[in-house]
Amino acid sequence: MIIEISHFLSILSTGLFFLVGSFSLSTSNTPYTSNLISRTYSHAFLFLLSSFLIYIWLAITDNFSVQYIANHSNSALPIFYKISSIWSAHEGSMFLWIFFLALWGFIFNINIKNTEVLKPKTIGVISLIIVGFLLFLLITSNPFITILPIAPLNGADINPVLQDPALAIHPPTLYLGYVGFVIPFACSLAFLINGDPSAKWEQLVNKWSVSAWVFLTVGITLGSWWAYYELGWGGYWFWDPVENVALMPWLAATAFLHSLSVSIKSSQLRTWTILLSITVFSLSLFGAFIVRSGIIDSVHSFANDPQRGLYLLAFIAVIIAASLSLFILRFSLIKPSGNIKTFSKQSFISINNIFFGTLIFSVMLGVVYPLIYEYLYDQKISVGAPFYNAIFIPIVILASLFLFFSVDSKWSRSINFKIFTKPIVLSLIFSVIITFAIHFVFKTNNVAILLSIFVGLLVIIRYLIEVSISLIFKKYLNPFSAIAHFALGLLLVSISFNSLLSTERALNIKINEFEEYKDLTIYFKDIRVRKGSNFDAVKAEFNIKDKNGNSFDLSPEKRRYFTRGQITTETAIHVSPLKDIYLTIGDQLEDGSWIVNVQINFLIRWIWFSACLMAFAGIVLVSTNRKSNI
Amino acid sequence: MKIILKLIILILPASFILMFFLLLTEDDSIIGADYRQFALPQFNLEELDGSSFITSSDLGDTYIINVWASWCITCRVEHPYLMSLNKKGIPVIGLNYKDEENDALEWLSKFGNPYKKIIHDYKGTLALDLGVTGAPETFLVNNGKIIAHYQGEINESIWSQVFIPVIKEKELF
Amino acid sequence: MNPIRKKRLYSILLVFLFSVSGISLILYSLNSNLDYFFTPTELKNVDIPSEKRIKIGGMVLEDSVQRYKSEISFIITDYENSINVVFEGIVPDLFKEGSGVVALGFIKNEIFYAQEVLAKHDENYMPPNLNLENDN
Repeated sequence: MIIEISHFLSILSTGLFFLVGSFSLSTSNTPYTSNLISRTYSHAFLFLLSSFLIYIWLAITDNFSVQYIANHSNSALPIFYKISSIWSAHEGSMFLWIFFLALWGFIFNINIKNTEVLKPKTIGVISLIIVGFLLFLLITSNPFITILPIAPLNGADINPVLQDPALAIHPPTLYLGYVGFVIPFACSLAFLINGDPSAKWEQLVNKWSVSAWVFLTVGITLGSWWAYYELGWGGYWFWDPVENVALMPWLAATAFLHSLSVSIKSSQLRTWTILLSITVFSLSLFGAFIVRSGIIDSVHSFANDPQRGLYLLAFIAVIIAASLSLFILRFSLIKPSGNIKTFSKQSFISINNIFFGTLIFSVMLGVVYPLIYEYLYDQKISVGAPFYNAIFIPIVILASLFLFFSVDSKWSRSINFKIFTKPIVLSLIFSVIITFAIHFVFKTNNVAILLSIFVGLLVIIRYLIEVSISLIFKKYLNPFSAIAHFALGLLLVSISFNSLLSTERALNIKINEFEEYKDLTIYFKDIRVRKGSNFDAVKAEFNIKDKNGNSFDLSPEKRRYFTRGQITTETAIHVSPLKDIYLTIGDQLEDGSWIVNVQINFLIRWIWFSACLMAFAGIVLVSTNRKSNI
Repeated sequence: MKIILKLIILILPASFILMFFLLLTEDDSIIGADYRQFALPQFNLEELDGSSFITSSDLGDTYIINVWASWCITCRVEHPYLMSLNKKGIPVIGLNYKDEENDALEWLSKFGNPYKKIIHDYKGTLALDLGVTGAPETFLVNNGKIIAHYQGEINESIWSQVFIPVIKEKELF
Repeated sequence: MNPIRKKRLYSILLVFLFSVSGISLILYSLNSNLDYFFTPTELKNVDIPSEKRIKIGGMVLEDSVQRYKSEISFIITDYENSINVVFEGIVPDLFKEGSGVVALGFIKNEIFYAQEVLAKHDENYMPPNLNLENDN
């Protein structure tokens, strides 16, 4: 009964959202209709919220007559994982996605006054998007299907690889980021529908966009961190298609935030900003499509149903077609006011837009090209890291150089290079010296790495100088821009050092033996069989000494879970500020020795730290009251 | 110039969508279905209730083999459909896969038994010879040959798309 | 042609030139960095230079896995043709004889030197771990 109530509530909310959407798009603004739209939206959201909460309750109370819960949860799981099992597969993930979509709309609805001109249409667009997704959920992937008359006694188990705190919160964070961009998207459409060029939709969405961007950044970082310690491969980014479809909205969103800052100031680059807001949201939907349609073979994608793919594709097509036709119809509305001065801040951000556009295009090509190729030639190919490196390294280096010179640029005025030569020369000198020092100390001739380190240092030092100037002379410095760009410099340097210095080696080693690797002495103490609550494990114990006399124990494991017989690797990682020592254990050989993989990963924590710093910059912006300019 | 720009903005996403449409609709084959013919391996295994041994010659000419287990949720989902197949008079042989006898018997008494005979493959040896990757899986056997095979839950639509064409072609049942 | 027109024409040409060269650069680097995917049978019919990185996929042949120190060698087969593979390092958790595998690396004298070995995921419908399985 309670299942039917939850099911019925979502159907009810679908109808109500449809009413809100069609009503708001077909009527003109009056205070009465605005209030009505706002209130009805809240009610529709409350229905959906209750439906979702009941569903969580069903999962917590092990209601295995729901087929989805029976298939993805188990009564032996802790409550935390019972809840997270909801988004461990297709139907539940979609449900969560829709809930978040409606949640963003709801928070927007209660935070923005009803007198705001663009609000009713924005809410209307959001509602129609929710309806599209809810229909998708209820028609093609219904999470409420029951196994009746008699339910199974216990459920299956969720995949043990997914039983991990980071992974339990990674999808929700990512989804919050993806669907958060519905706010700028819906606002820009509302702006185009209203057709009044004086409406300031850009200011309205600024903080919303930055918040969504923060979630997206954190979500991607969490995914990267999880893959590092859980999958046992030791990398932080694999250019897997599913990672790429999360990266594309991030790149587009970052470009959008830059472009938005210009449009807020001077209504310039409005074309770009609107086009980018459409792009960000389309790419988010595209991500959902790629993951959900199973069109790409990947470790991540789970649903394999062409019907779902076709529905999503049709839905995306409708959204893109509608928004782009609207954009073209109202093209005259968003004509740029006045030319952009060379070397003004606007000009630098335009260049930045082009760089980001190229990156997005390249990633898209990398994701899509194998599909086209297979369709045309019936030959499977894949695009690996070398391609992305060939594109990303030069463009990021160039973009950072432009960033370095643009730090002191002014809005609508050409930069005066004379005044700012001192900081520029100073950071150039420092960076050149440090880069040369690195070249000699680490004996490397890798131009790409040295150049990346060089531009990374340029950005870092330039912003350090800028911060000191602002502290000493009490000059205003935009904290969001300073922290985020500083983090970019740090990210560049960390990634470069990581790829320059990190090494790995597979050793084979017997119990009670020593093995040397680099400056480490690895001693294999013991191996034991350990019983966990729902798995058996082989646990190896190592003692590692480095040449500075530091000594520590590491115990990598191999686990075998009961319910699925699945084997997983538990890595053992020794974390220090500069490097991680990363141990995984493989199989035992016939002579009794074990294969042990040792990785030394330099500055890998700094990569995630830089990403978190970027997200932190966004939090600073959202939590301060000052009108932002990036 | 402006028209070209507008066209590019429209054509680029349109071509992407068209391409994905072609990709999605290109391959009509059903995932999990397999029409390779191969001989049913020889076996000699106990019946589920332990009453007697079954070999491949005891099963008749044409029948369905359904791999199932009491721990398998999806088997529970497809169970009603198997019951209806049984009612239609189609012989369904159960291959109980890596399952405890008591659990399996309890499961059958609770939900009903759609199977004509049940092979108890506790160690999964026959399943290994059949190339079973997990439960449920369903095979169509005719004269000692497997002529159609599906991995995953079978239901009305899978039955009519995967098995019915083969059954019609060979004029079985 | 008046000067404004001329200027416009130049800027359009410039943008055109830039985007064409940019796109061709991207396509060029895409083409030179593709990893082609082959099954052992397809491999028989093509000639692959030893510096070209490729992917091969198939099943790990039963009883073909051999280990020497930290090196592992096995045979990837599609049950028609097969190829010897050598890999140094730890194979993934799902790597098993008789299960699907994808290897990325270089081919030299009919032997495939893998840099990366990925096992195929099959996360649904896996049987529980029964006690008798632990015996072997």
